[in-house]
Amino acid sequence: MAVALPEVVEELLSEMAAAVRDGERIPDEHLSSLKFVFGPSAIQALDLVDRESVTLISSPSGRRVYQVLGSSGKTYTCLASCHYCSCPAFAFSVLRKSDSLLCKHLLAIYLSQVMRNCQQLSVSDKQLTDLLLMEKTQEA
Amino acid sequence: MAEALRRVLSAGRAAGPAGDGAAGPPLLLLGTPRSAQTSLLFAAALEAAGEGRGPVLFLTRRPLQSLPLNTPAARNPWRLQKVRFQYPSSVPELLQLLASAHEAPGPALSLLLLDGLEEYLAEDSGIQEAAYLAALLLDTAAYFSHRLGASGRCGLVVALETQKEADSDAPHLTLLQRYFPAQCWLQPDTLGSGQQHCLRASLESSKLSPRTEWSVTFLPNGEMKIIPWPTQASEPSPDKNCSSTESQSLTL
Repeated sequence: MAVALPEVVEELLSEMAAAVRDGERIPDEHLSSLKFVFGPSAIQALDLVDRESVTLISSPSGRRVYQVLGSSGKTYTCLASCHYCSCPAFAFSVLRKSDSLLCKHLLAIYLSQVMRNCQQLSVSDKQLTDLLLMEKTQEA
Repeated sequence: MAEALRRVLSAGRAAGPAGDGAAGPPLLLLGTPRSAQTSLLFAAALEAAGEGRGPVLFLTRRPLQSLPLNTPAARNPWRLQKVRFQYPSSVPELLQLLASAHEAPGPALSLLLLDGLEEYLAEDSGIQEAAYLAALLLDTAAYFSHRLGASGRCGLVVALETQKEADSDAPHLTLLQRYFPAQCWLQPDTLGSGQQHCLRASLESSKLSPRTEWSVTFLPNGEMKIIPWPTQASEPSPDKNCSSTESQSLTL
């Protein structure tokens, strides 16, 4: 995502990515830092990544969108270019209350990139349009 | 923009290199009145159209009844034909247009403009709907930037009418500022006389960058004059006429 995260988060994700790249286990202190910054969402996001719940969907046009399969079995749409998730927690905690930086689904996208286990799916241009428009009906 | 609008306001002076593909951050054009926003968006469209890059898409709810400016650039058919107007009449139509932008054939856009965002937000004003509209505008511009690759980025300017600066009544202003790091405020300059229409334009490219200000005068003949806002005499004397200062006509 071409969105600026706070520097401390960028640095943390970068160090986690370096550990994965070197074939090492992600240090516990990084996971603790993640939990310190994101609270309970960190564990929930890691759980989503473990369950390979993040899918990057792309069409021949090059346009992309993420879908995250939530713990309840519901699928949420997240834009690839800026912070937006169709889940109720994003609307409430991130947009309305501004007491969270990201919802667990957006955090899971960042973590799936770090862990390199983001699923890939190709669809037609028309199907991608439908996915982007379907978002509007997903809200709680 | 953001960059195209900054170049309009800078009237080609000390505004950095043109045509280098820089687009600047997504920009929210705020303030009143609406007609001035439309004119400035149109000027930005003509500026971008003159750069030799991709076409410009100008979205607004209602068809324009006449060209908002009467400058040499506005009469230049070569530039005008690079500006494509589309008139989504509702939020679903606007979302459909943005969500399917990647299906349209043709070259990638160099600039995406939306006039009158408040008309769409008033109709469908839930916080998540507003966020999705803003995010989808950004996503569409990002898609065209991706297509442009090394040859530049697609700029984005969205106009939202408010009654005054930092207007808390403006629909979802705080939310929109989350998605649009750059903002340009237009405030009426009460010193305008006769049929002239004077505005003070204040541009902040980000929260950390200094504010740059201009005086914008719309003349009855459709021309637009822009001069830097005086930094020393920020409180003009009552007898000062906004058109009496040394001004430079915009010649795009």
